[in-house]
Amino acid sequence: MSFEEFQNYARLFIVGALEPDEAAEFEAARREFGEKAEAYIAECYSLSEAFALSLKPAKASDQIKARLMEMVKSRQTR
Amino acid sequence: MQGVQREEAEPLSQLYDRYNGIIKALILRVVHNEAEADDLLQEIFMEIWNQAKNFSAQKGKPLGWMVTLARRRAIDKLRKKQAYARAEERLQREIEQQPDAWVHNSTEEEILDGDRRILIRRVIEMLPPPQQQAIELAFFRGMSQREIAANTNTPLGTVKTRLELGLKKIYDGLKELRDEL
Repeated sequence: MSFEEFQNYARLFIVGALEPDEAAEFEAARREFGEKAEAYIAECYSLSEAFALSLKPAKASDQIKARLMEMVKSRQTR
Repeated sequence: MQGVQREEAEPLSQLYDRYNGIIKALILRVVHNEAEADDLLQEIFMEIWNQAKNFSAQKGKPLGWMVTLARRRAIDKLRKKQAYARAEERLQREIEQQPDAWVHNSTEEEILDGDRRILIRRVIEMLPPPQQQAIELAFFRGMSQREIAANTNTPLGTVKTRLELGLKKIYDGLKELRDEL
Protein backbone atom coordinates (compact mmCIF):
# COMPACT_ATOMS: atom_id res chain seq x y z
CA MET A 1 0.00 0.00 0.00
CA SER A 2 1.34 3.45 -0.89
CA PHE A 3 1.33 6.20 1.74
CA GLU A 4 -1.35 8.03 -0.24
CA GLU A 5 -3.59 4.94 -0.04
CA PHE A 6 -2.80 4.70 3.65
CA GLN A 7 -3.92 8.32 4.08
CA ASN A 8 -7.25 7.48 2.43
CA TYR A 9 -7.69 4.52 4.77
CA ALA A 10 -6.70 6.62 7.79
CA ARG A 11 -9.50 9.10 7.10
CA LEU A 12 -11.99 6.23 6.74
CA PHE A 13 -10.64 4.70 9.95
CA ILE A 14 -11.31 7.92 11.86
CA VAL A 15 -14.97 7.94 10.86
CA GLY A 16 -15.28 4.20 11.53
CA ALA A 17 -15.96 3.34 7.89
CA LEU A 18 -13.29 0.75 7.14
CA GLU A 19 -14.63 -2.65 6.12
CA PRO A 20 -13.04 -5.59 8.01
CA ASP A 21 -10.68 -6.55 5.14
CA GLU A 22 -9.62 -2.91 4.76
CA ALA A 23 -9.06 -2.62 8.51
CA ALA A 24 -6.58 -5.52 8.36
CA GLU A 25 -4.72 -3.91 5.44
CA PHE A 26 -4.75 -0.58 7.27
CA GLU A 27 -3.26 -2.07 10.44
CA ALA A 28 -0.51 -3.80 8.43
CA ALA A 29 0.34 -0.53 6.64
CA ARG A 30 0.19 1.34 9.95
CA ARG A 31 2.89 -0.94 11.34
CA GLU A 32 4.92 -0.64 8.15
CA PHE A 33 4.84 3.18 8.05
CA GLY A 34 5.42 3.48 11.82
CA GLU A 35 5.78 6.99 13.26
CA LYS A 36 4.84 8.65 9.98
CA ALA A 37 1.55 6.74 10.06
CA GLU A 38 0.84 7.63 13.70
CA ALA A 39 1.52 11.31 13.00
CA TYR A 40 -0.92 11.27 10.10
CA ILE A 41 -3.62 9.48 12.13
CA ALA A 42 -3.21 12.11 14.89
CA GLU A 43 -3.82 14.82 12.28
CA CYS A 44 -6.91 12.99 11.05
CA TYR A 45 -8.58 13.36 14.43
CA SER A 46 -9.24 16.94 13.29
CA LEU A 47 -12.00 15.34 11.20
CA SER A 48 -13.90 13.87 14.14
CA GLU A 49 -13.37 17.08 16.11
CA ALA A 50 -14.79 19.07 13.21
CA PHE A 51 -17.87 16.86 12.88
CA ALA A 52 -18.63 17.36 16.58
CA LEU A 53 -17.90 21.10 16.38
CA SER A 54 -20.19 21.44 13.37
CA LEU A 55 -23.19 20.73 15.65
CA LYS A 56 -24.95 23.30 17.76
CA PRO A 57 -23.92 22.61 21.39
CA ALA A 58 -26.70 20.97 23.42
CA LYS A 59 -27.54 21.87 26.99
CA ALA A 60 -27.23 19.04 29.49
CA SER A 61 -29.38 18.70 32.59
CA ASP A 62 -27.79 20.53 35.55
CA GLN A 63 -28.01 17.34 37.60
CA ILE A 64 -25.58 15.52 35.33
CA LYS A 65 -22.53 17.45 36.44
CA ALA A 66 -23.53 17.22 40.10
CA ARG A 67 -23.93 13.43 39.82
CA LEU A 68 -20.66 13.09 37.92
CA MET A 69 -18.64 15.07 40.46
CA GLU A 70 -20.27 13.15 43.32
CA MET A 71 -19.21 9.85 41.72
CA VAL A 72 -15.67 11.12 41.17
CA LYS A 73 -15.34 12.35 44.74
CA SER A 74 -16.67 9.09 46.17
CA ARG A 75 -14.02 7.19 44.15
CA GLN A 76 -11.31 9.53 45.38
CA THR A 77 -12.19 8.84 49.00
CA ARG A 78 -12.09 5.04 48.53
CA MET B 1 -6.19 16.97 30.70
CA GLN B 2 -3.01 16.44 32.71
CA GLY B 3 -4.93 17.22 35.90
CA VAL B 4 -7.58 14.65 34.98
CA GLN B 5 -4.79 12.14 34.37
CA ARG B 6 -3.60 12.86 37.93
CA GLU B 7 -7.16 12.03 39.08
CA GLU B 8 -7.92 15.56 40.30
CA ALA B 9 -11.60 16.47 40.41
CA GLU B 10 -11.36 20.18 39.60
CA PRO B 11 -9.75 19.71 36.16
CA LEU B 12 -12.53 17.24 35.30
CA SER B 13 -15.07 19.86 36.35
CA GLN B 14 -13.38 22.38 34.01
CA LEU B 15 -13.20 19.85 31.18
CA TYR B 16 -16.91 19.15 31.63
CA ASP B 17 -17.80 22.86 31.59
CA ARG B 18 -15.79 23.39 28.44
CA TYR B 19 -16.91 20.41 26.40
CA ASN B 20 -20.22 19.06 27.71
CA GLY B 21 -22.28 20.99 25.14
CA ILE B 22 -20.27 19.63 22.21
CA ILE B 23 -20.24 16.07 23.53
CA LYS B 24 -23.96 16.16 24.34
CA ALA B 25 -24.74 17.46 20.83
CA LEU B 26 -22.76 14.58 19.34
CA ILE B 27 -24.51 11.98 21.52
CA LEU B 28 -27.90 13.49 20.76
CA ARG B 29 -27.19 13.37 17.06
CA VAL B 30 -26.60 9.63 17.38
CA VAL B 31 -29.29 8.51 19.85
CA HIS B 32 -31.99 11.16 19.22
CA ASN B 33 -33.26 10.96 22.79
CA GLU B 34 -32.72 13.73 25.34
CA ALA B 35 -32.85 11.60 28.52
CA GLU B 36 -30.60 8.88 27.08
CA ALA B 37 -28.18 11.53 25.87
CA ASP B 38 -27.93 12.99 29.39
CA ASP B 39 -27.32 9.54 30.91
CA LEU B 40 -24.70 8.75 28.29
CA LEU B 41 -23.04 12.13 28.82
CA GLN B 42 -22.52 11.29 32.47
CA GLU B 43 -21.24 7.78 31.64
CA ILE B 44 -18.86 9.17 29.02
CA PHE B 45 -17.34 11.77 31.35
CA MET B 46 -16.92 9.03 33.93
CA GLU B 47 -15.14 6.98 31.27
CA ILE B 48 -12.99 10.00 30.39
CA TRP B 49 -12.03 10.14 34.06
CA ASN B 50 -11.29 6.40 34.16
CA GLN B 51 -9.46 6.25 30.83
CA ALA B 52 -7.57 9.56 31.02
CA LYS B 53 -4.29 7.76 31.65
CA ASN B 54 -4.59 6.22 28.17
CA PHE B 55 -4.73 9.65 26.51
CA SER B 56 -1.52 10.72 24.80
CA ALA B 57 -1.05 14.30 23.61
CA GLN B 58 1.25 12.95 20.89
CA LYS B 59 -1.69 11.11 19.37
CA GLY B 60 -3.93 14.18 19.10
CA LYS B 61 -5.87 16.79 21.04
CA PRO B 62 -8.11 15.98 24.03
CA LEU B 63 -11.26 16.89 22.09
CA GLY B 64 -10.48 14.41 19.30
CA TRP B 65 -9.95 11.68 21.88
CA MET B 66 -13.14 12.54 23.77
CA VAL B 67 -15.20 12.72 20.57
CA THR B 68 -13.92 9.30 19.49
CA LEU B 69 -14.79 7.82 22.88
CA ALA B 70 -18.22 9.49 22.99
CA ARG B 71 -19.10 8.51 19.43
CA ARG B 72 -18.21 4.88 20.08
CA ARG B 73 -20.30 4.76 23.26
CA ALA B 74 -23.27 6.47 21.63
CA ILE B 75 -23.22 4.13 18.64
CA ASP B 76 -22.95 1.09 20.96
CA LYS B 77 -25.99 2.39 22.81
CA LEU B 78 -27.88 2.93 19.59
CA ARG B 79 -27.14 -0.61 18.44
CA LYS B 80 -28.17 -2.14 21.75
CA LYS B 81 -31.41 -0.27 22.03
CA GLN B 82 -34.52 -2.29 21.46
CA ALA B 83 -35.84 0.72 19.63
CA TYR B 84 -33.05 0.43 17.09
CA ALA B 85 -35.45 -0.80 14.46
CA ARG B 86 -37.67 2.22 15.02
CA ALA B 87 -34.67 4.53 14.75
CA GLU B 88 -33.78 2.79 11.51
CA GLU B 89 -37.27 3.48 10.19
CA ARG B 90 -36.97 7.12 11.22
CA LEU B 91 -33.57 7.32 9.56
CA GLN B 92 -34.93 5.78 6.40
CA ARG B 93 -37.67 8.41 6.32
CA GLU B 94 -35.06 11.14 6.92
CA ILE B 95 -32.96 9.81 4.08
CA GLU B 96 -35.93 9.80 1.75
CA GLN B 97 -37.06 13.27 2.76
CA GLN B 98 -33.71 15.00 3.34
CA PRO B 99 -30.72 13.41 1.66
CA ASP B 100 -28.42 15.99 3.23
CA ALA B 101 -29.09 15.88 6.97
CA TRP B 102 -26.25 18.25 7.81
CA VAL B 103 -27.83 20.85 5.57
CA HIS B 104 -31.35 20.34 6.87
CA ASN B 105 -30.25 20.93 10.46
CA SER B 106 -28.60 24.17 9.55
CA THR B 107 -31.05 26.81 10.76
CA GLU B 108 -30.53 30.54 10.58
CA GLU B 109 -30.06 30.63 14.35
CA GLU B 110 -27.29 28.03 14.13
CA ILE B 111 -25.52 29.88 11.37
CA LEU B 112 -25.37 32.99 13.56
CA ASP B 113 -24.16 30.99 16.54
CA GLY B 114 -20.40 30.67 16.60
CA ASP B 115 -17.77 31.61 14.04
CA ARG B 116 -15.90 28.34 14.32
CA ARG B 117 -19.01 26.31 13.63
CA ILE B 118 -19.84 28.49 10.64
CA LEU B 119 -16.38 27.96 9.17
CA ILE B 120 -16.50 24.18 9.70
CA ARG B 121 -20.00 23.88 8.31
CA ARG B 122 -18.97 25.91 5.31
CA VAL B 123 -16.30 23.31 4.56
CA ILE B 124 -18.75 20.43 5.03
CA GLU B 125 -21.52 22.08 3.05
CA MET B 126 -19.22 22.57 0.08
CA LEU B 127 -19.43 18.82 -0.51
CA PRO B 128 -22.06 17.43 -2.87
CA PRO B 129 -25.05 16.16 -0.79
CA PRO B 130 -24.38 12.45 -1.53
CA GLN B 131 -20.86 12.80 -0.06
CA GLN B 132 -22.23 14.62 3.01
CA GLN B 133 -24.84 11.90 3.43
CA ALA B 134 -22.31 9.06 3.23
CA ILE B 135 -20.10 10.72 5.87
CA GLU B 136 -23.11 11.50 8.07
CA LEU B 137 -24.25 7.87 8.00
CA ALA B 138 -20.75 6.57 8.75
CA PHE B 139 -19.85 9.01 11.49
CA PHE B 140 -23.15 9.70 13.26
CA ARG B 141 -24.84 6.34 12.61
CA GLY B 142 -21.84 4.06 12.74
CA MET B 143 -22.78 2.44 9.44
CA SER B 144 -20.28 0.40 7.47
CA GLN B 145 -19.82 1.05 3.77
CA ARG B 146 -22.00 -1.97 3.03
CA GLU B 147 -24.77 -0.72 5.33
CA ILE B 148 -24.65 2.71 3.69
CA ALA B 149 -24.85 1.09 0.27
CA ALA B 150 -27.87 -0.99 1.33
CA ASN B 151 -29.64 1.93 3.05
CA THR B 152 -29.20 4.33 0.17
CA ASN B 153 -29.56 1.84 -2.69
CA THR B 154 -26.14 2.85 -3.94
CA PRO B 155 -23.40 0.57 -5.32
CA LEU B 156 -20.70 -0.21 -2.75
CA GLY B 157 -17.96 1.21 -4.96
CA THR B 158 -19.83 4.50 -5.24
CA VAL B 159 -20.22 4.71 -1.46
CA LYS B 160 -16.50 4.13 -1.02
CA THR B 161 -15.65 6.82 -3.56
CA ARG B 162 -18.06 9.30 -1.94
CA LEU B 163 -16.55 8.71 1.48
CA GLU B 164 -12.97 8.96 0.25
CA LEU B 165 -13.52 12.10 -1.81
CA GLY B 166 -15.67 13.78 0.83
CA LEU B 167 -13.27 13.10 3.69
CA LYS B 168 -10.28 14.28 1.67
CA LYS B 169 -12.03 17.53 0.78
CA ILE B 170 -13.00 18.16 4.41
CA TYR B 171 -9.50 17.28 5.62
CA ASP B 172 -7.92 19.64 3.08
CA GLY B 173 -10.48 22.34 3.84
CA LEU B 174 -9.79 22.11 7.58
CA LYS B 175 -6.05 22.35 6.93
CA GLU B 176 -6.59 25.61 5.07
CA LEU B 177 -8.72 26.89 7.95
CA ARG B 178 -6.25 25.85 10.65
CA ASP B 179 -5.14 29.40 11.43
CA GLU B 180 -8.70 30.69 11.63
CA LEU B 181 -9.99 27.87 13.87
